Amino acid sequence: MLKRSLVAVVLLAAAAFAQSGEKSEVIALRGGKLLTVSHGTIEHGVLVMQNGRISAIGGANTAIPKGAKVIDVTGMTVYPGLIDSETHLGLTEVSADRMTNDELEPSDEIMPHMHVADAFHAETALIPVARINGITNAIVAPSEGDTLPGQDAFIQLDGKSAPEMLLVRDIALPLNFTGRQRRNQNFDQAKFPFTRMGMAAQLRQSLIDAQDYEQKLNAYEKKKSGPDAEKAGAPPKRDLKLEALLPYLHGQKPVVLAAEEADDVQTAMDIAKEFHLRVIFNHLTHASSILDKVAASGFPVIVGPIYEQPKESERYDAVFRLPAEMQKRGIKIAFASFDAHQVRNLPYAAGYATAFGLPPEEALKAITLNPAQMWGVDKDLGSLDTGKVANVVVANGDPLDVRTDVKHVFIDGAEVPLVNKQTELRDRYWK
Amino acid sequence: MERRSRCVWVMLLGVFLLLIGSAIAQQQNSQQPSPASQNPQSPEKATPGEGKPARSGESAPSMKPEPASAPKDVVIKGGTLLTVTHGRIENGSIYLHNGKIAAIGKTVNAPAGATVIDATGKWVMPGIIDAHSHIALRDDVNEPTNPVTPHMMMKDAFDYEDRAIYRALAGGVTTSLLLHGSANMIGGQAIVIKHKYGLGRDELLFPGAPQSIKFASGENPKRVYGSRNQLPATRMGNFEVMRQSFQEAREYMRSWDDYEAKVKKGDKDAAPPKKDLKLEALADVLRGKLLVQIHCYRADEMLTEMSIAKEFGYKIRAFHHSLEAYKVADKIAAEGIAVATWPDWWGFKYEAWDGIPWNAVISLHKGARVVIKSDSEDVTRRLNTEAGKIIHYGNVSEEDALKMITLNPAWVLGVDERVGSLDVGKDADITIWNNYPLGSNALVDKAIIDGEVFFDRSLPGTGLTHLKEAQ
Repeated sequence: MLKRSLVAVVLLAAAAFAQSGEKSEVIALRGGKLLTVSHGTIEHGVLVMQNGRISAIGGANTAIPKGAKVIDVTGMTVYPGLIDSETHLGLTEVSADRMTNDELEPSDEIMPHMHVADAFHAETALIPVARINGITNAIVAPSEGDTLPGQDAFIQLDGKSAPEMLLVRDIALPLNFTGRQRRNQNFDQAKFPFTRMGMAAQLRQSLIDAQDYEQKLNAYEKKKSGPDAEKAGAPPKRDLKLEALLPYLHGQKPVVLAAEEADDVQTAMDIAKEFHLRVIFNHLTHASSILDKVAASGFPVIVGPIYEQPKESERYDAVFRLPAEMQKRGIKIAFASFDAHQVRNLPYAAGYATAFGLPPEEALKAITLNPAQMWGVDKDLGSLDTGKVANVVVANGDPLDVRTDVKHVFIDGAEVPLVNKQTELRDRYWK
Repeated sequence: MERRSRCVWVMLLGVFLLLIGSAIAQQQNSQQPSPASQNPQSPEKATPGEGKPARSGESAPSMKPEPASAPKDVVIKGGTLLTVTHGRIENGSIYLHNGKIAAIGKTVNAPAGATVIDATGKWVMPGIIDAHSHIALRDDVNEPTNPVTPHMMMKDAFDYEDRAIYRALAGGVTTSLLLHGSANMIGGQAIVIKHKYGLGRDELLFPGAPQSIKFASGENPKRVYGSRNQLPATRMGNFEVMRQSFQEAREYMRSWDDYEAKVKKGDKDAAPPKKDLKLEALADVLRGKLLVQIHCYRADEMLTEMSIAKEFGYKIRAFHHSLEAYKVADKIAAEGIAVATWPDWWGFKYEAWDGIPWNAVISLHKGARVVIKSDSEDVTRRLNTEAGKIIHYGNVSEEDALKMITLNPAWVLGVDERVGSLDVGKDADITIWNNYPLGSNALVDKAIIDGEVFFDRSLPGTGLTHLKEAQ
């Protein structure tokens, strides 16, 4: 089942990436330190981009095609475009203004038929701001106020319109179980679901309803194609909400299971197991006591935000240490900004985790190749390898360090100007 | 008369209890303030801005006996010293004597018995100072019942056992300014604390620090009072409330001046005006007794704030947040006002829409004193990386970046003669880091306040030296 789902996602992704590759200019980056992520570091290397893809990568002797535009990046670091595993890009502009926010449909806890792709605002001022720190791809997710708030999209941070930027629509379904999905906490005016019991029951019922719905559909189809076709009657009424759950019940696509406390993680894991859901864990910020169990599940984790406060009784670094503790246990991790305005700070979270024991190469992997694999797009993204989409960043230092300044960003092999609303203001007033 | 004698009696009792307390403490070799050592008078005595600075182990306000562990002489040896005021000293040493920096250089002359802290291969810098914090105030940050509440004293809500103080300390913060919130145009009066987590309340107060008061402007007061259909609901209302308040304060001061003039002339029938805490606090602003810290975002608001300050004759110490300072930084700099900002926050509301990460560097180049502060229980733990971002956004020098989280916030708090750099005579508030502190991967190994280690990462549990884990 897992294989089938991967094939499905890869096909979707391949279709999306097929749009790219029309850029004709050949660009060669020469002399840089190439952090390939997949096969180590190449000093004084050469990377060639052609038709939107990486056409060659190697040492100083790597052939550069005639007519290529050569950019000398001696002394610079070259690495794959960064992938943010949870953002709200394109769903918000000014946080405090409701009219600019499309992050959550709050009318019900179970809203799997919402698609962020329908709300994604390609021209948002926030994307160029994120881009200039080397973030080239991201998950766009609804916020976490519903148990099933709707389906994520996977985007590229450049393009003239939403269809160009939405590489994979409905790539995953967030399943939130953090205790904050209940609608009110006023006992006298309590409305179901009021407790974790209620939220779990409601979720189970929804998944069962979807299974029943599918059975009815199948029974109808079977009848219709069988000898008693005339007796099949009218098809079951189409239910978009239940229909939306089917790819997830089949394990074709992952649910992004958000939980923070160890008990919530286990309750949600129980439900995932009951329904054979394919899981990408999210947060696990206070679940350090059950990391072995998480590791045994084999599921990857979007860890953090690591800036969450530890519990009162805990040491100051209990949450900062989580990525290192997970990596030590063989858990595949990815970082996310969990934000819209501060997507640009994604690499710094990975960098901060290195202070608390995460090896730097693993930290870089957790914002490149790991998320590419988790989201099923590693055929095209996540490392500097021949044949992959040429999303490439050039910076003047360690990609994870706050002091590092990004000098070039290439998306689909074309250089993206490092300008945005903020650089315009800077240039206007810095005279 | 009766009152005075009671006072004396309480004082005597206090001294008696203190003696017993210190005896017990010595016996138990205790590092905790024993309940008996709490001087009933210390809260008044400890009011910042009054009296001369008192050092731990000397006299009031700290009536606790010096902990047995507090060493008189300490030498930090072998690290790269980031002095903030006079560059780097590679492989240098600092001699701490009685909680002060007594010497700093390639080598220092320290007594033979001094406690040695080996900092070989490490980075040593002054403790970080957070010029904008609301930790340790429980949920009592705002008194949102009136847009003018200058008589609210944050000390009255100070939760000195709040773990946030510890977590900031573990991130290198040794001093913080705990401010009233931004619901009110004129909020309450702040406290300056040292992060001596594990000690008693009064020992966390920065002795002798001047008193600051918080002002706010823009969307927050508008929202708080406007949503109740009260004044102010607009920026017009915001500023008029301020002018009105200072006008009343002027009249209040005049009534007292008149009264005192009458008394001086020998008028025995003169009746004193009513003492009013609120007007008294506003009068203290006009008398220049309080450092004015203003929450604001937009450039036009900063200009209006400056004109009102001029009209009523008080000085503004710093604009906080001040995301649009870069638009009018030359004017701010000309008034000697500091810009206390975040490196990169923006977009969370309309007045933050024009925030840019080059605000700090542009303000710096136009001559303003720039501070990077947190306003966040999270960010206060990693202000070092926030300052590092200004190297990214603007390529500022190491010294300028360091100043933004040390000496410049010290100035905003009015304690720059005491802390904020590694200079002889200053309080020995020092942090030792395992990696370059302005980078992403640095951790605090030790945090020292007044010459005493309060956090040591190598220790098991919390890493705290003055907290009993049972607490």
